Amino acid sequence: MKISFDQFHKLWNGQDDFRLRELDCGIVLKAVCLDTMCDDAKVSAFVLQPIAYIGRADSIVEVEKKLAAGTGVRKPPNLFAAVEDFTNGYTLIFDQNDNCISVDTRTVIGRSIAEPPTSMVMRGPREGFVEDIKVNITLLRKRLKTPNLKIINLAVGKYTNTAVAVCYIEGIAEQRIVDDIVQRLQSVKTDGVLDSSYLARYLDVSKTFLFRRIGSTEKPDIAVGKMLEGRLAVIVDGSPMVLTVPYLFVEDMQSPGDYYENSAMTTLSRSLRFISVIASVLLPALYVCLQVYNYQIIPLRFLITVLNASEAIPFSPLTEMLLVLIVFDILREANLRMPSAVGISLSLVGAIVLGDAAVQAGLLGAPAVMIGALSGIGLFTMPDNTLILSLLRLLVTFIGGVMGLLGVIISTMTILVYLASMQDYKTPFLAPFAPDIPEDRQDAVAQIPVPNMKKRPRSIPNENSDRRG
Amino acid sequence: MDKNRVQVGQLALLYLLLVMGGKFLTLPSLLAGDVGHDSWLSVAFSFVWDGICLCFLLWAVKMNSDSHLDLSAILEKSVSKPVTKLLLIIFFVIFILRINVLLSSCYKMFSVTFDVSTNWIVYVLPIAALSFFAVAKGFNAIARMGQLLFGLILLAVVALFVSPLLEVEFGALKPLGEAGWDKILLTSYTRSFWFSDYIFIYFVLDGIKVKKTVFTPILISFAVGAFLCILLNAVFVALFGYLAPDFDMAMSKIGVFSAASTTNGRWDWLTLSIWLISVFIKVMVFIFCAYKCIEKFVGSNFVKFNWIAAGIILLTLSLPLFVSTEQLLGTVIKWGVIPFTLVQYVLPLLMPLCTKAAKRKTEVNNE
Repeated sequence: MKISFDQFHKLWNGQDDFRLRELDCGIVLKAVCLDTMCDDAKVSAFVLQPIAYIGRADSIVEVEKKLAAGTGVRKPPNLFAAVEDFTNGYTLIFDQNDNCISVDTRTVIGRSIAEPPTSMVMRGPREGFVEDIKVNITLLRKRLKTPNLKIINLAVGKYTNTAVAVCYIEGIAEQRIVDDIVQRLQSVKTDGVLDSSYLARYLDVSKTFLFRRIGSTEKPDIAVGKMLEGRLAVIVDGSPMVLTVPYLFVEDMQSPGDYYENSAMTTLSRSLRFISVIASVLLPALYVCLQVYNYQIIPLRFLITVLNASEAIPFSPLTEMLLVLIVFDILREANLRMPSAVGISLSLVGAIVLGDAAVQAGLLGAPAVMIGALSGIGLFTMPDNTLILSLLRLLVTFIGGVMGLLGVIISTMTILVYLASMQDYKTPFLAPFAPDIPEDRQDAVAQIPVPNMKKRPRSIPNENSDRRG
Repeated sequence: MDKNRVQVGQLALLYLLLVMGGKFLTLPSLLAGDVGHDSWLSVAFSFVWDGICLCFLLWAVKMNSDSHLDLSAILEKSVSKPVTKLLLIIFFVIFILRINVLLSSCYKMFSVTFDVSTNWIVYVLPIAALSFFAVAKGFNAIARMGQLLFGLILLAVVALFVSPLLEVEFGALKPLGEAGWDKILLTSYTRSFWFSDYIFIYFVLDGIKVKKTVFTPILISFAVGAFLCILLNAVFVALFGYLAPDFDMAMSKIGVFSAASTTNGRWDWLTLSIWLISVFIKVMVFIFCAYKCIEKFVGSNFVKFNWIAAGIILLTLSLPLFVSTEQLLGTVIKWGVIPFTLVQYVLPLLMPLCTKAAKRKTEVNNE
């Protein structure tokens, strides 16, 4: 649609923060901006002062050339682009013939770069993404000083018109995946995008929504690390969470600090995470079904202890375990919503007072509370999938309690079939284990020293597998 | 992505799981009843024939690697449509019978060994649901799951084997061929229903992704699987002697030797449960094949999961409600040996020729 000042004026006139200045420098110019989105100093320095000092100009092209003090001067191709610039804090200058230029006068409001609370590290960079897309791109550029870092800018959301940047390294990321993701983002039809998690749902190809299929990180070093493996980073204005695509299940087991520690230590901690997650999901179910159906498996001494502890409990082992797990989930949910100071007290009240009181009162057995707590804590080694794993744990425990070992086997196999069937952007979710990709196992659970990682992972489609430059 | 695509490596691991899953249930006692302590020889002969047929089938797989024709396309183009339909019916029957025998053996194991008696329907429904879920997700998902669980299952089998292997007196297997070589050979034929696990490969022919070699990984799997089965049979009859025919759950009886003392708990049950996963994987694969039989028989590609086909398979799983496993093995399978031999042992030998003919016909049609 062609730009027309009258149309534009009609759209915005009457808004409290709408500012219009008429200027005469040989030709009559009209400068408009949104007071709330623009920096007054920039408007003055990049628009008003240069025009005032131009003297005479014959056309808007001449004005554009003389506004050289502003770094971001451009010609919006249509009304839609002009509105987008305007709402983002640009000042628009119209001449009498409805020619228009936009000057970057955006205000910088937002928090400063800090260590992200969700990805604390002992060693390694402490910078984290912020809500401002420009700052976030800067954080990537700071680490990727190459013209091969490509950024595709998009606007998503009918009303929010949220700026979205798809970042990738040309020559590493596979172009077909880039095109696919850009196309998916362009086809998003929604009122608004308030956070990157909104777009994650649109990028989830198979739309299963059960497991997280799109990676997210708050740390630029992690985002760059993933881009160097062939992934894409999707930055959304207003969100400190940068999405990374494609995504593997094994990434959930990797912590930001893994690459800055000794690889032997990393291997150990990743193995512990794996074991604790598997144990968290299966332990309550096994405890219940062994106690109810196959108590012969439990060693005699342990069995006697368990029986003594649960003798006076008024609930069946299944009900008892489900109660423990549900109470633990309630505590976790409450803890998340509470201010951090109160949260600590709540954890203590929940863990010590509630658990101990329940055992003392004879409502719950100590072994069940212990297994429930162990299982609950174990899930936190995989923070992004805690909720879904917690749900699966309840389900497997219920089935195990009703059907015994057969139920545990069947439900575990169902989960595995489901996980194994997932494949987005030509990337199998369970790679490098299923399908087995031996080369990629160098940085899955076990990690070899970084200098020995000479190839990019095959699980992630890429155009250049050699990492040695 | 083609959800039925499978790599040769995945196929090899799955094949090994299939060989191990199911042959350690009632088969050792049945063989011991037939030929006494020479049952392991009977197993060995069966595997020799299996090995030859497998080589021919793999040859066909290799020939088909560039054309990706499926079983019905190969058969229809090389023999004829009616013969293809007939073969598919035989395939369907063999798969359904094998699924039923496997499930009823597991059912027995749960009720006898684990003391968990349940209704057949309640027992079968979750397994069928899992299998249909896997069918809907594609063969690729089954193969990947097999790949994930392979190490664990192998570890469980080894854990179950170690203790009895240390205690067994292999001298009890002497004299060799006491039952008579002709009887041993005949038994390996009459009990052939339990073998030729490679028949599932027919139904993934079009999805096999051959990169380098197809023979080596699958033949290694076959050799390992065959060795474990022969060894287990030998250990079983050597340990239990003339009592072997009465112990119909070989793996659970062998597992007893792994439990050093009851005060330490029956950890062998846990390893036994892990091994049972391989039986369920076998059931899943056979249900997938039975589903494919229906798909190919009606001559259409089920793009979405077909509930009617699933319903037919589910109905056939109620067979043990009307016929006991003993009756099944004694009558249906006894008389079915001849048609079954056709698809188990004759068709694989002809598959390279059929594939070649089908390929030639496809090329001519394309020209």
